Amino acid sequence: MTYILRRVAFYLAAFFVAVTLNFFIPRIMPGDPSARIIASFQGRLNDAQVEAIRASYGTTGSLWEQYIGYVGQVLRMDFGISTVQFPEPTSSLLFYGATWTLVLVGIAIALAFLIGTMMGIHAAWNRGGFFDSVFTPINVMLNAFTPAVVALLLFYAFSLQLQWFPLGRAHSTGLVPSWDPQFIGNVLYHATLPVLSILIVSFGGWHLGMRNVMINLLNEDFVILARAKGLSDRRVRYRYVARNAILPQITSLALSVGFLLGGALVTEQVFNYPGLGKFTVTAIESRDYSFIQAQLLLLTMSVLVANLLSDIANVILDPRLRKG
Amino acid sequence: MADVTHTPSMTLLDRLDEAAIASAAPSQTELMRELRIKGRPGWTSNLPPSLAAFVTNPKGMTGVIVLLGLILFSLLGPVFSEYNPQRRAGKPHVAPSYEHVMGTTRMGKDVYTQLAYGSRTSLAVGFGAGLAAALIGLAVGISAGYFGGRIDDVLTFLVNVVLVLPGLPLIIVIASLVDSAGPLVIGIVLALTGWGWSARTIRTQTMSLRTREFILAAELMGERKWRIILKEIFPNMLSFFMGGLVLGTISAILAEAALSFIGLGDPNAVTWGTMLYWAQNNMALQVGAWWEIWPPAIAIMLTGAALVMINFAVDEITNPQLKASRKIGRIRRFLARRGRSADVF
Repeated sequence: MTYILRRVAFYLAAFFVAVTLNFFIPRIMPGDPSARIIASFQGRLNDAQVEAIRASYGTTGSLWEQYIGYVGQVLRMDFGISTVQFPEPTSSLLFYGATWTLVLVGIAIALAFLIGTMMGIHAAWNRGGFFDSVFTPINVMLNAFTPAVVALLLFYAFSLQLQWFPLGRAHSTGLVPSWDPQFIGNVLYHATLPVLSILIVSFGGWHLGMRNVMINLLNEDFVILARAKGLSDRRVRYRYVARNAILPQITSLALSVGFLLGGALVTEQVFNYPGLGKFTVTAIESRDYSFIQAQLLLLTMSVLVANLLSDIANVILDPRLRKG
Repeated sequence: MADVTHTPSMTLLDRLDEAAIASAAPSQTELMRELRIKGRPGWTSNLPPSLAAFVTNPKGMTGVIVLLGLILFSLLGPVFSEYNPQRRAGKPHVAPSYEHVMGTTRMGKDVYTQLAYGSRTSLAVGFGAGLAAALIGLAVGISAGYFGGRIDDVLTFLVNVVLVLPGLPLIIVIASLVDSAGPLVIGIVLALTGWGWSARTIRTQTMSLRTREFILAAELMGERKWRIILKEIFPNMLSFFMGGLVLGTISAILAEAALSFIGLGDPNAVTWGTMLYWAQNNMALQVGAWWEIWPPAIAIMLTGAALVMINFAVDEITNPQLKASRKIGRIRRFLARRGRSADVF
């Protein structure tokens, strides 16, 4: 329990660092957002209007007052009004996009972790064999192909040429979001290629990670003892070796959430998928700073929550952590 | 006809001898030949062991050769082009031909010229950012691991924060505030956000090293701390530093491509990422101009693949069990051929 509490304290501190960075980065950069907007009116604003714009971006008062005001806003989840989808509040846009990104990244992470880990177990058990010497390097190389390239190629082959999959959107127009099977099927159909492109560039990492940890464990005394006792291969493989090798995997799973969300950014752009990444790119093009900042906080928060979940999973799986 | 091997004149003892010879362990040279294990070539005997292990690693050397080829192309490629990468050089979307080896873009720019100059920028950003991140990771990791105590607490907190903060979204915030993020800005930001992993690995390794006798001896002899770090600890961290460098470079090259691809980069700069950005913006695939997409895509994939190969070799040096595992497959097949159980491995 103290272990989990220590971790929670760290995540709160890390979140605080992110909020602080978010506050200071725009202010140390040349030309803050409000100055940019005011400049774009080329002097046609009166003093009251200038003051109002500054106030809406929180750039009035002393730095300390601004900071307190910003932290308060963040805690209330109030990220201001979006300048792109005016007058939609930034937070509602943010959560709409996050829902679809969660669909994509959630399915992709789960599949990649499952496939990669199973392949890693197989490769480590038959290390030096055909599967290990051929597919381990290939899978890891796929990992180093940028999502942009993979997504473009899949889009070209299956959406444009073969027309097996749609050209964009999260579901067909005219369908109302609900939980009925037809709608869910439609969503999965639209998500297939985006999920596939994230999957292709990410499962190799799990394969290599699992394989390397397992190879080191295979020579440990407890494994040799288990085999000497005459336990079945299956039991040694899954209950003894894989069970221990999965612990570091779960930790890096949580750390990879941030990376995968970054990959989703590119994928959503290619497949015109209405997720967080797509909105972020629109926000970048129109310099919608409140959205850009809010997406960093939301993503940081999701990475921190993922890390907390992995800590809890580690405590459940690893009794040694429960003592400390 | 009498059976030659089982003539009645053969005593039981003779037969036992024969069986012993048949099942005897093969000599070392026999075994090495059968397992295709080669001794280390003589010319590597003057090299430090980890370097010798690297140059005799087929995967690692393949990666190095491919990478050197790419670097050579980025240095010499522009020489063979008469065009300017930023200027119109022909009609839009000309298919590959004698004048335009890799065709032209929608804007009529020569793809080969763009690729050659773009390789320079992309590789420079990748290696620059990767090297800087690895150096920061080395400095932070060694300091945290060697000094321990309060310094370690602060640095470890910093490392964990850097690991947990999502890199790409943070870069987006920074890059969107700078008017147009050129390759240099992107490189700096990538270096500042990408050092977490190598700092963590090197810290762990340093901690296990600092209790060893030779460090203790140096301390007792009154060596100065920075000298111990440079002369005793750093050489042992070299392969971990290399690993950090390779991984940092991969992620920097991929991140640069991703950032430029979504339009955060300076659209006038020529990099692999911006080439893909323009190709996507101009619907190159939709109109069938595959030559606008493939060259930068293949360049990125080749670089990634080469770096991954090098990383495999570095992994095998830092983790000898991985290297041994390559031979275990052969040993198992060898034992199976001799009718022995391969279960011991």
